Amino acid sequence: MTVIELDDVVKRYRTGAEEITALDGVDFRADRGELVTIIGPSGSGKSTLLNMIGLLDTPTAGGVRLDGREVTDFSEAELTAERRSGIGFVFQKFHLLPMLTATENVELPSMWDTGVDRRDRAVDLLERVGLGDRLDHRPSELSGGQSQRVAIARSLINEPEILLADEPTGNLDQDTGATILDELTRLKEAEEIAIVAVTHDEQLVDYADRVVRLVDGVIQ
Amino acid sequence: MSIADLLWRVPSVQMAWRNLGRNRVRTALATLGIVIGVVAIASLGIAGVALQQQATADLGDLSNEVTVTPGEDAAEEGITDEQVATIRTIASGSTVVPEKTNVTAIESRNGREVQVRVTGVTRASALYGLASGDAPDRLRSGALLSNTTATNLGLERGDPIEYDSRLYRIEGLITSTEGFGSATGGRLVVPVSAMNDQQYYDSVTIFTDGREATALTDDLEARFNEGGDEQVDVRNFADVQQRVGSFFRTLNLALLGIGSISLVVASVAILNVMLMSTIERRGEIGVLRAVGIRRGEVLRMILTEALFLGILGGILGAAVSLGVGLVLFHLLTDDPLLVFQWRSAQYVVYGFGFAVLASGLSGLYPAWKAATNRPVDALRG
Ligand SMILES: Nc1ncnc2c1ncn2[C@@H]1O[C@H](COP(=O)(O)OP(=O)(O)OP(=O)(O)O)[C@@H](O)[C@H]1O
Ligand SMILES: [Mg+2]
Repeated sequence: MTVIELDDVVKRYRTGAEEITALDGVDFRADRGELVTIIGPSGSGKSTLLNMIGLLDTPTAGGVRLDGREVTDFSEAELTAERRSGIGFVFQKFHLLPMLTATENVELPSMWDTGVDRRDRAVDLLERVGLGDRLDHRPSELSGGQSQRVAIARSLINEPEILLADEPTGNLDQDTGATILDELTRLKEAEEIAIVAVTHDEQLVDYADRVVRLVDGVIQ
Repeated sequence: MSIADLLWRVPSVQMAWRNLGRNRVRTALATLGIVIGVVAIASLGIAGVALQQQATADLGDLSNEVTVTPGEDAAEEGITDEQVATIRTIASGSTVVPEKTNVTAIESRNGREVQVRVTGVTRASALYGLASGDAPDRLRSGALLSNTTATNLGLERGDPIEYDSRLYRIEGLITSTEGFGSATGGRLVVPVSAMNDQQYYDSVTIFTDGREATALTDDLEARFNEGGDEQVDVRNFADVQQRVGSFFRTLNLALLGIGSISLVVASVAILNVMLMSTIERRGEIGVLRAVGIRRGEVLRMILTEALFLGILGGILGAAVSLGVGLVLFHLLTDDPLLVFQWRSAQYVVYGFGFAVLASGLSGLYPAWKAATNRPVDALRG
């Protein structure tokens, strides 16, 4: 089942007098239970594409559909609500909050939800990514691989339909990267979610169900 | 469940508290700025009140008092009986106390001698507060002596005292500081008959009865000093008091102004600290926004941080100011607890309120900036 769909999406950036076309008519879709990787040279528009999929940015032209709903013209507040309930993010640099424990970091996206206590789910998720013994550790007390697993747990706290990862293994060594990819593969099957990962890492391609190649903002 | 527990469940409060805990030195310095601002406002305000209370206590309650003394163009060497009679009719209903004064030396049994002002009055009770004994409405054969002089000379109530070769019995002791005129020097009060060799009175004091002292002054001036002829000099202290009052109001405003400047400086410091810390945390705030934390939620979080600085500094500053106030009131009025009366305590409340307001205002811009930063831009670096 298709979770996210991009229709002939164009993204242009204007810097001074110059106009850069980062995405030039991109069609894209991802289904539940599949891991799609986006590869391409630096500056080809991979991150830009991921931002469109993640509703972090809006296209200059073209349409975006989430769960079959047109979200192209959503307001900032509506997009934020969609991100909160339906999309999980994993970043290259983990981006955990240093003053929160592992459990609190996992709870973070649901922290402002009134009347919901996600503590149990956070602990459960951390146990599932193998960090049951690190619940109260701060990010500074965790290794890179452990941090990225906390980030993955955080991305799943609100039971998203889609998980987006920009170079999730970029800051990790080969072996640690492999464990993260195993983790993602397991999750995609168990949780029935779509995973879209941007990478330079050839290793990630081996785990992918589908590979999208991007060159100069155009899918090959 | 306590209020603290409830507050802790508010995510903005919890996040703000932890963010402040991340850079304790910076938090402490920003708080210190606010503490100084609050202490400046509150203790300067309190100092103004304490000074004013000390001054008014020294002046005594003179607002209903009018004094008449011989004027420049007076026909006689003093106030005549006839003039006293006129004053009595004009100031009917008020207490009119004519007095004659002189200076004499009194000697104690052990041979010590003290210079005192001698006053001859009819109604001593209207003029003098007594430490002990009583001042009969009309002195006949008794006398009053100031407390300090009595102690100096070893005299007590009931002892005889000599003036102009006549003996008087001390009937009461006058408290040493009472009002304006009797603030310095010893004083002996004798029946006005003792000074019969002085024909005229040196002054007449009128204690108005409900009537405005200024109105009575005008009436007396009109009656005696017709056409600029200064027969008598009429004075009241109403305008002195008014001027003292307005002086202290101006002083207080100036002091508060100075205090406010330091709080403005402190809030600029908070603005700076909050701006720095939100710029440093740009990426982090971008992550918050990316994972679905709303703009308003981020705004509240940052604003709460700024308010925490203000509240923390405000509480500490209020405590320090009350301490300073206790010392000031102790030094100036001998009653440190006067600091808790609303007149002075209000400045602690103002200081605290101003601190919270100022920190909230300085938090607004950084909070708004952090909240409206687009997550894509923040995450790019
Ligand atoms: N906010 C922006 N303003 C101006 N130009 C931008 C902006 N974001 C991206 N670009 C431009 O768009 C193009 C695509 O950038 P993007 O970050 O998507 O590349 P990428 O494929 O992710 O590269 P890398 O592999 O290095 O991360 C680049 O030419 C970049 O300079
Ligand atoms: Mg990129």
